[in-house]
Amino acid sequence: MGIRWSRLTPQLALAPAVALTAIAFIGSIGWTILLSLTSSRRLPDYTIDWSDPLRQYRRLFADLGWNIALSNLIILAIGSALAIVFGFVLAAMIERERRGEDFFRTVFLYPLAISLIVTGVAWRWIFNPSLGIESFFHSLGMTWVSFNWLADGRTAMYAIILASVWQSSGFYMALMLAGLKAINVEIWSAARMDGVALWRVYLEIIIPMMKFTFLTCAILLSLGVIKAYDIIVAMTNGGPGQSTWLPAYFTIKAMSAKGNLAFASAAAAMMLAITVVVFLPLVLLTAWQQRARKGAAG
Amino acid sequence: MTETSSPPAGTVMFPRPKKRIRGRSIAILVFLTMAALFFCIPLYVLVTTSFKTMDQIREGAIFSLPEVWTFEAWRYAWDEACSGITCEGLKRGFVNSLEILFPSLIASIAISAVTGYALALWSVRWAGGFLFLLFLCAFVPFQIIMYPLIVITVNMGIYGSIWAVAFIHTVLAMPVLTLIFRNYYKDIPPDIIKAAVMDNGSFWRIFIEIILPMSGNILIVVLIMQITSIWNDYLIGVTFGGLGAQPMTVNLANMVTVTTGTVSYNVNMAAALQTAIPPLVIYFVLGKFFVEGIAAGAVKG
Amino acid sequence: MPRVSFEHIVKKFGEVMVLNSLNLAVDDGDFLVLLGPSGCGKTTLLNLLAGLSDVTSGRIMIGNRDVTELDPKDRRLAMVFQSYALYPTKTVRGNLRFGLSASKLPQEEIEKRIAWAADMLQIGPLMDRRPAQLSGGQRQRVAIGRALVKHADVLLFDEPLSNLDAKLRTEMRMEIKKLHEELNPTVVYVTHDQIEAMTMATRIAIMNGGKIEQFGTPDDVYERPANLFVAGFIGSPSMNLLPATVEPGGQARLADGSPLDMSAYAFGAVPPPGTALMAGLRPEHFALAGPAEAACRFTLKVRHIERTGSDVMLALAFGEATLTVRAAPADAGHLRTGDPVSVQFPKDRLNLFDAGSGRRI
Ligand SMILES: Nc1ncnc2c1ncn2[C@@H]1O[C@H](COP(=O)(O)OP(=O)(O)OP(=O)(O)O)[C@@H](O)[C@H]1O
Ligand SMILES: [Mg+2]
Repeated sequence: MGIRWSRLTPQLALAPAVALTAIAFIGSIGWTILLSLTSSRRLPDYTIDWSDPLRQYRRLFADLGWNIALSNLIILAIGSALAIVFGFVLAAMIERERRGEDFFRTVFLYPLAISLIVTGVAWRWIFNPSLGIESFFHSLGMTWVSFNWLADGRTAMYAIILASVWQSSGFYMALMLAGLKAINVEIWSAARMDGVALWRVYLEIIIPMMKFTFLTCAILLSLGVIKAYDIIVAMTNGGPGQSTWLPAYFTIKAMSAKGNLAFASAAAAMMLAITVVVFLPLVLLTAWQQRARKGAAG
Repeated sequence: MTETSSPPAGTVMFPRPKKRIRGRSIAILVFLTMAALFFCIPLYVLVTTSFKTMDQIREGAIFSLPEVWTFEAWRYAWDEACSGITCEGLKRGFVNSLEILFPSLIASIAISAVTGYALALWSVRWAGGFLFLLFLCAFVPFQIIMYPLIVITVNMGIYGSIWAVAFIHTVLAMPVLTLIFRNYYKDIPPDIIKAAVMDNGSFWRIFIEIILPMSGNILIVVLIMQITSIWNDYLIGVTFGGLGAQPMTVNLANMVTVTTGTVSYNVNMAAALQTAIPPLVIYFVLGKFFVEGIAAGAVKG
Repeated sequence: MPRVSFEHIVKKFGEVMVLNSLNLAVDDGDFLVLLGPSGCGKTTLLNLLAGLSDVTSGRIMIGNRDVTELDPKDRRLAMVFQSYALYPTKTVRGNLRFGLSASKLPQEEIEKRIAWAADMLQIGPLMDRRPAQLSGGQRQRVAIGRALVKHADVLLFDEPLSNLDAKLRTEMRMEIKKLHEELNPTVVYVTHDQIEAMTMATRIAIMNGGKIEQFGTPDDVYERPANLFVAGFIGSPSMNLLPATVEPGGQARLADGSPLDMSAYAFGAVPPPGTALMAGLRPEHFALAGPAEAACRFTLKVRHIERTGSDVMLALAFGEATLTVRAAPADAGHLRTGDPVSVQFPKDRLNLFDAGSGRRI
């Protein structure tokens, strides 16, 4: 029968994507994990010391910077979750009111179009102790107000959280708004007929109905938190000291420090591990939700 | 419990909707307006500061309008400001960003659209497995593949050039974009593709003549998504651009973090604005597609 | 010339057997209608012929070419889809032209064919519109035009008229029939609609559960259904099927005890006395009063009356079962529910089936 080009062409057309996936993703992940088991310093050295293959990981967890990065990751995740809450409140209000929807949506969403470097520059300026918002409050006579967050290791993370909430709330608002609009209007009528208070309708009916949207937001949020790097560079560059290090920042720093390839690879592998641990349950839960929803639909 | 008391039996009672709705509306609008003000603060501060003189900035009134509007900071940021060791302003970075943008856009959209088309409309036996793999790849943190990609680009002889940056943009965008295209194409009625297969049968011809003209919407959405994310990228640019092919964001970051001597905040703000303007223009002009792009990218990330 | 034949076709979707060793041959110029209940495999069979899916085993021949392994575009077929499947971004002309894009014809030949099809289907004024700017009927014409320009050996239709309203459907039905008579291509046509099947087909294949139940002319299928399934499937309202037992002397007895005269029936093989039968009586063959040459006659109570204007459908109580009888309004206009009515069935219109195997006797 010879070659059937009609069968072959689609597969040939897929070849670049398959090659990229195989090399740039799967192969590279394997490569990095392999490196993390060696003691490569400046150049890769692929001999694994089988007596102690997890040596780099032990070093990693003994490293103060990494531990700071991990706890900051949790702080940032919890703090950024505010963006989901805030996004939902904004979406609910916009959806309820309808007036000015386009205007408000445009205003809340524009930070997403801006580079995080720019975001960081702007917020660092606002937090400037002598010329920024602190001096504005002081000039109003409220001298007890302190916005010098970036200079203090204990508060610097909060400044970063504020900036990232500012940056991402609009995004969650847009997703929530889409979710809210997908809800059947008859639900509202039914709830009104039953005389249920509005906040209870939201809490007991609407939010459970939007489980899927919330899960999507949670996945995207954790993805953003694990990847957070640009904003750190632009706002604090890790400082003061190591107080705003995050795993992404730690790993890039270790990578570019040179001479510590295996160690940096171990950090990268841990980032992947965190992603897997966080995502697998969330993604599976989402897939399950989606299936349940499809099943219910028919 | 609720404060709404049940109406006495036999009387039909309607709440006075006018009054209640109006009160609530005002409260909501006030809240939304305050939130909007909060969202506008950074942009307002960026704009006003960039037009102020350093003398006025030193007075410390961050929210005041410029006493004298001056473009000096804008000019300086564009033309002369130092970033790292060079002092050519942002214009070099702007050109680099543009040079990175076009090949990245073309390559990433071309490869993802074709892959999505093949996976959605042609029966390839392993399509399901491959899609699942792409779905997983979309979540992989960049750091885990960073070092191998550096080695690969060095061996390709493109490391430190705009081609390396464009190549990495293409690789990293491929999984998500492919899923987006595939989801779009799979909603094309199967009869159309069947008819095309009977009429012509050529994979490429059908793609170019039938499918591509039907992809207008998704192409705009993806285009906007990609322009924004490529333009705003920092990490790939700084990692793969070397010294010669640094995009604007990298220049900006160097400018604001490595300044020695007195800090010219107005120049920093002008530089930040110059970096932000291209995506902002796209956002304000084509906002509708931007929102669609977000939803598309998120729902099937 | 293009005689289409399916030889021992098996098609499985995973474990599910959809077509089971199916054989079917259509002669050149035949208008074959595939008729059958939903899910019986009509579309599957058509897709196999078109090359849009692959046979699990078996062979498909067009003329003396084995097309089983050929690509769809190389089979010299054209297809009209239920959803029309017009390319939404192309004009009508572009749609027709794309149909010829693989054929490497010279440009003037392409233009000639497009003009010919436009003329034949009266879509000339629509040539520069897009599908979205056409009505359903116009889209249908374009879809047919796109198939015609190819001068294909075989034309395939998958329920092409089911998206049209009743009036348009009748018009298009006649038009397709006319096209067939003028151009005389081999046609394979899938439909749910019995009227379409009976009016257009030169051959009908009744399918059920992945098998061909009967293959023959429309008259064959209607007058001499090969088995109980076909008997029940063809005709609306459907044939009355009454159990009976064979008695000596060309007689049978129905369940209620009344005799059934089988003397005019063309038996393949005469069944021995005691055989369980099914007697098939078409509602439209009953007479309220008429010739004495009756196979059987009943006097039954009217359970229900339905008037369609041109006919009166009587549902008569036959024990627990219902006997459907079609009568002319002039004969049955006076009847009311509960009235007794005498009906008789002509000897020569009888259908008899073996109750066990379901086959025609
Ligand atoms: N891709 C498929 N995978 C699995 N089963 C399929 C597939 N396509 C069809 N089937 C099954 O094959 C059987 C025949 O389907 P087909 O579409 O041929 O029916 P049909 O006779 O055209 O019905 P209809 O009159 O409703 O169009 C059905 O039971 C259907 O469920
Ligand atoms: Mg069908």
